[in-house]
Amino acid sequence: MSADIEAQFKPTHDEHARQRFVSMLRKHAILDMTQKLKARYDESIEPQLQAEGRSPKSWRDISKAMQDDPVYRFYSSTRYNAQEMCFMSVQPTIERNFSDLKKTASQAAAEATAGGSLTLDPGLELPSYVTRLDIHLAPGYTHREYTEDDIASGAVVAFGGKVFTGQHPYRRSYGAVGESVSYFVDKQFPDLKPKHILDMGTCSGKNLVPFHDRFPDAELHGIDVGAPALRFGLAYAEHLGVPVHFSQQNAEQTRFEDESFDLITSSFFLHEVPVVATRRILAECYRLLAPGGVMVHMELPNENAVSDYENFFWNWDTRNNNEPFYTQFRSQDPAALCSEAGFSKDSIFARLIPDYASSGVEVADACIAGDRPTPPHGKGGWFVFGARKER
Amino acid sequence: MDESSPDSIKLPRSTKGTRPSFFDDPSMDQMMTFILELTTEVAVLRERQDSLERLLDERGTLSRADVEAFRPDEDGEAERTQWREAFLERVLRLHVPE
Repeated sequence: MSADIEAQFKPTHDEHARQRFVSMLRKHAILDMTQKLKARYDESIEPQLQAEGRSPKSWRDISKAMQDDPVYRFYSSTRYNAQEMCFMSVQPTIERNFSDLKKTASQAAAEATAGGSLTLDPGLELPSYVTRLDIHLAPGYTHREYTEDDIASGAVVAFGGKVFTGQHPYRRSYGAVGESVSYFVDKQFPDLKPKHILDMGTCSGKNLVPFHDRFPDAELHGIDVGAPALRFGLAYAEHLGVPVHFSQQNAEQTRFEDESFDLITSSFFLHEVPVVATRRILAECYRLLAPGGVMVHMELPNENAVSDYENFFWNWDTRNNNEPFYTQFRSQDPAALCSEAGFSKDSIFARLIPDYASSGVEVADACIAGDRPTPPHGKGGWFVFGARKER
Repeated sequence: MDESSPDSIKLPRSTKGTRPSFFDDPSMDQMMTFILELTTEVAVLRERQDSLERLLDERGTLSRADVEAFRPDEDGEAERTQWREAFLERVLRLHVPE
């Protein structure tokens, strides 16, 4: 078995304390301050707008009314700083342990004891929507390289991501979304039994690896444009003994042959690319799926699926978390996007699925079957959409 | 990066993209970064002191290396988590009615 790349991340006493504290700061902003902001809106801002005859008619009206409010300003500022600090808190540890991290990744790739592989394409042109700004305020995101065979950006996103989710009640399990989606697929499409699975925008594969537990016979492929994240991902998967074939490809146009896969997934991916690219990606899914194959994209709930206030809340990231396509993506109808890509209308779904780790099998089954309501996205549930290709 | 070589690396501490301003005076945005970084340092110091006290309880004497290597057990970590949460509640006390 390959050495554990995560064990090469050795924070000092104080770095460890800082990382743990930043997890709490991030949770404080995203959960505690968010509740206070909602109370502030319900109890004073909305009543005042009503009294002035300016009741909000859309999330944009709410957003506009919030801009000058001190609670909104301090919430936003705390959340923005906490986001940056998630990644900054791990950078010194990665710099100091860089040589060991890199060596572990190179060894994992050379030995590939679990049977995974890594195929890089140094000639791949990185899309401008990836390079123009650092998505999620992660310096270098998943793609920037500083030296040869670099894994640093992959490590910053992986370890910084753990700080980010460290106190989040539904994201303590590393691949929580992958666990939930794989369980949903197994329950909802019991005849599918996928043999070839592709995860698009896989980063380091944390939401792909759980598919191995659910479908141990399936061949797993993960694609992303960021080489450092893929290098890190191979080491991560190899240590777990999970064979994953990582390759550096743009999901808009891959090198795979037609009908190569019976299951295609993505998590937190499509809202990071322009809608024109999403359309190409969904058409590529249609091309790559074998007859009867399924695609499931875990995404943010679309604008029409939630209230004006929630839209105001979700769309905050567009401007403030370097996710410029977030609002544009959320304004689309997922069913229409799938239909345009070639999927037949009666096969398309857009729904909440239960968080598997926190709900347990019984509750999860009831939610999937529709016998009990699934909690909202990010609060015990996840929003997914997708379709099944005709047989 | 000038200081990076195949085995050592210096990562950027800033991100590509336009930094939003949440306040009328951008100095206030800068001040929030100062305050939150300082808040974090207070928490880190407090945790170091907590490590010292726990080690002294346990052993009566200790070295710097003991402190550096110290990680609390599950109960100790749970206590620290509670303290961090309460500490942030106090420091970032918003002007809203309970």
